[in-house]
Amino acid sequence: MSKSFAVLPCNGLDKGAGCISREIALHLIEKSDSEMICPVLYRVADARYTKIAQEKPLLVIDGCQTRCASKLASEKGLKVTAKLTVTEEAKNRGVDLGDSLRLGQNEVKLAEMVADELLLEKEPEKASESETASDSEIVYPETYDYEVYKKDKFIFRVPKEGFLFNENDSWAYISGNKARVGVTDYVQQSLSDIMFFTPPVVGSEVEQFGELGAIESGKAVFEVVSPVSGRITAVNEELSVAPELINQNPYEKGWIVEVELTDLESDKELLLEFEGYFKILKRKVDDFHV
Amino acid sequence: MSEETFMGVPRNTIDWSPIIDFNKCNYCMECVKFCPHQVFEVRENEDKKFIVKNPDNCVVFCRACGKTCGLDAITFPDKGATTKKIKETRKGMAGNE
Repeated sequence: MSKSFAVLPCNGLDKGAGCISREIALHLIEKSDSEMICPVLYRVADARYTKIAQEKPLLVIDGCQTRCASKLASEKGLKVTAKLTVTEEAKNRGVDLGDSLRLGQNEVKLAEMVADELLLEKEPEKASESETASDSEIVYPETYDYEVYKKDKFIFRVPKEGFLFNENDSWAYISGNKARVGVTDYVQQSLSDIMFFTPPVVGSEVEQFGELGAIESGKAVFEVVSPVSGRITAVNEELSVAPELINQNPYEKGWIVEVELTDLESDKELLLEFEGYFKILKRKVDDFHV
Repeated sequence: MSEETFMGVPRNTIDWSPIIDFNKCNYCMECVKFCPHQVFEVRENEDKKFIVKNPDNCVVFCRACGKTCGLDAITFPDKGATTKKIKETRKGMAGNE
């Protein structure tokens, strides 16, 4: 059984990358049971396309970083299963996209390659690098005690004990030589409904303040800024199907990765305990949050 | 006033803000529209239609405006080097107390 998607391309007609998004979508519907959602008609034919988007896993294809298709999916409250950005795909493959709105050889080839890869049956990437049973003996509490700061309808929780924070609104919960890492309520409230999580590669090294994947809403793409340095040993797999867990509680089921620590003592120089972070959070909310 | 310090270090001692490659930029202004910290300023009548006006307003280690740029015209300083510099500044400050 070949894979199939509900494909939502941005179909941006005045940009080359937008035109390629359409080409990828065409390949997908020709080579599989995928169905296409027209972003223009979707504006006026809600019922028809929402049904398709619910029946099949939704693939969002953005041409460029303006993310029109992602924003449309967010507006319509759709659940995104996979997404890609044409300019990124081109860059990763070393394809230079021309300025023309007509597709040249390179563009056609790129579209075909991307579509073929999407249709390949991938084994779920589990095991090997990821946590083995003996490693994962750490049992994290299911809930924590929070201090709350309120501003209008927004509630910002900060756990009172056991967490360290950076000023970029990420936290680390240390347990032995490992840390579980995530973002704080400030991030999820600022982004509002999180629709997609791009995980980092398990097994890779991260420096303090390095990137630990990205979370994305209709509003923005937020790079998770690592509070600690080390090796990524696990990612929260549940976020790929339910990124909204970060909105529900970013300290509990919405955690992001686990890291084996390499230099915690040095990292701690640039980390805050509850009191320090709570002060900063209140200032940020008062100064800025709308 | 917002961020005057970052981890106790004066913000104006930290070199962190977007660097625009105006050869790549097509002035779509997505970055300008995106940044909520007034880092950029529009200069409608000039060759470069916007500038990095307030680099110290930029949140240290934030690269979010770069992610709005489809042309990769926005880069940032190296994170590792910046972290190192912040730690050195902190040490210097502790030594002077």
